[in-house]
Amino acid sequence: MPLLQVDDLTTYFHTRNGTVRAVEGVSFHVHRGETLGIVGESGSGKSVTCYSMLGLIPMPPGRIERGRALFDGKTDLLGCTPKELQRIRGKRISMIFQDPMTSLNPYLKVSTQIMEPLQLHEKVTKKEGLRRAIAALEEVGITEASRRVHFYPHEFSGGMRQRVMIAMAMITQPDLLIADEPTTALDVTVQAQILELIRMRQAANKSAVILITHDLGVVAGMCDRINVMYAGRLVETGTAEDIFERARHPYTIALKRSIPSLGQKGKPLYTIPGLPPDLSKPIPGDAFALRKGIRSGGKYANVAPPLEQVSETHWVRASDCELPSLEEVLNEC
Amino acid sequence: MSAEDFLVLENVKTFFPITKGLILKRKIGEVRAVDGVSLRLRKGEIIGLVGESGCGKTTLSRTIMQLQRATGGRIFLEGRELTALADEAVRKQRINFQMIFQDPYASLNPRMTVSDTLGEAIRTRRRLTGKTLLAAVAELMETVGLSPSLMRKYPHEFSGGQRQRIAIARALAPQPKLILADEPVSALDVSIQSQILNLLTRLAKEMELTMIFISHDLSVVKYISDRIAVMYLGRLVELGPAEAVMADPQHPYTRALISAIPVPDPKVERSRKRIVLEGDPPSPMFLVSDPPRSEAALEEVAPGHFVADPESFLNERKAHAAVVA
Repeated sequence: MPLLQVDDLTTYFHTRNGTVRAVEGVSFHVHRGETLGIVGESGSGKSVTCYSMLGLIPMPPGRIERGRALFDGKTDLLGCTPKELQRIRGKRISMIFQDPMTSLNPYLKVSTQIMEPLQLHEKVTKKEGLRRAIAALEEVGITEASRRVHFYPHEFSGGMRQRVMIAMAMITQPDLLIADEPTTALDVTVQAQILELIRMRQAANKSAVILITHDLGVVAGMCDRINVMYAGRLVETGTAEDIFERARHPYTIALKRSIPSLGQKGKPLYTIPGLPPDLSKPIPGDAFALRKGIRSGGKYANVAPPLEQVSETHWVRASDCELPSLEEVLNEC
Repeated sequence: MSAEDFLVLENVKTFFPITKGLILKRKIGEVRAVDGVSLRLRKGEIIGLVGESGCGKTTLSRTIMQLQRATGGRIFLEGRELTALADEAVRKQRINFQMIFQDPYASLNPRMTVSDTLGEAIRTRRRLTGKTLLAAVAELMETVGLSPSLMRKYPHEFSGGQRQRIAIARALAPQPKLILADEPVSALDVSIQSQILNLLTRLAKEMELTMIFISHDLSVVKYISDRIAVMYLGRLVELGPAEAVMADPQHPYTRALISAIPVPDPKVERSRKRIVLEGDPPSPMFLVSDPPRSEAALEEVAPGHFVADPESFLNERKAHAAVVA
């Protein structure tokens, strides 16, 4: 039984300028000890998917229209009261955000912030809390932890702050860690350290990890399975090999072809023409077919394309879209 | 002056003093942001400048543009010594340098339409008005792949990729001699990243642009640059043709940087070994009481491929780790 089973999650934002359909019928699961990557462009709904499950969507304007997120086989996260969610957040499910400077409170010592989840969830004494905070900092590779635990966030560098965030997220030994672009704001060398650290803490705790990112290089090394999202929908899901070696959906293929590190010098890079669709208008059919410069046979113009099974692990949303050739793409720009 | 010497840096240093005391300020040390960089740029060349945050990439580019006067060393543009110019003459020189910034959301004035933004930039070089100015704006927009019909729109009406195109057009407008692109694609999605890289490559070829492309992403730099300069702690540690530096890195720091890039292939990722540098990059702060730093020097290991002495890097890294622990 998976640790988290999400079915038909749908989140809309009802704004003055219309209803934005941020997440539309997304289903997936994560097993214990597994790492799931969620990739997609900005605005594809990858963050909203995870925030919806944790009750972190501002409501209003946000509203979870339908769906179920069964955690550990018994708790439906979407049906929980705010009080019940508070008992789960920070205890059994933790999050790491992109920018460690804005997600740590600059007025509070690191010690206060790391101890907070323990005091809230495990009712430990201050002394015990501090002892465990120091141990947690040591586990994430911060030297002189007993002294540095009393530092303020600005006294740490960016990479160190992200280590503090990980220590804070992992201190309650959560079953599930959600990392939203955890290394986007960091240097490549520090990124490598932080990813390695997440992997090590995950192995030590046997936690599941959901990694949200737009960097395909990061998911290739970190994730067992990958969800590709486009315009609020899941377009392809499979193991890392399924996605990187046997991608079927034209959007996944186009995304992979645009990566600069795979490009050859002197040859133009492939780019995806057009822009993602406006989510404030209903999209009855294939969202990718609406992209300017993408040809489609019109089979899914008004019918929602079904998710089709390719192999035991690999599912693809049907699409009759055709990617334009490199020459056509370049003429477009 | 030969074409090789379009821009010449000779042992450029930019230090910021650290003082103590309110009234009698004593200098107790300095931040050596740029500490002895020598470099020659050809006309029409794209050089990629890579290194971690705090290594001095941005200070170096500010020093080249004379936004920050150098503490030591000399800078020549087309044979003219910029470091010797008086302040007023320096101000007139600035038109020769244009920048493209990381965040196109922050670098465009939200209250100016595209034609205002570009018109203003064009008028710094050419005194155009009315219809001729609008025609120049339209031409510029077409150059960067934007439809001139959008010129009355404001930045918020554009997507991130389109905004970066406007920022590029604005940088091209005053016909600069040198473009400094500071992380121009880091904030963009992969699909848009490739569009902007294609645009910059095409413009560089068509307009013979000379460009310093600053990034911490070696894979992007490799794609766009003719040569790569790797910077560490205020100095260049490796300089050479892009292919040679990527395929056969000589300096341990370059090797660590390359090994840190995630490869978008699960099989390669799982099997390869990483060189993980311990700790954070050291601080460029040097106290008066610290032992003097050795002179920056590069050795030519292959034609056009220069490397700094790896010994001093390893020692400094070790010395710093010892201080932390």
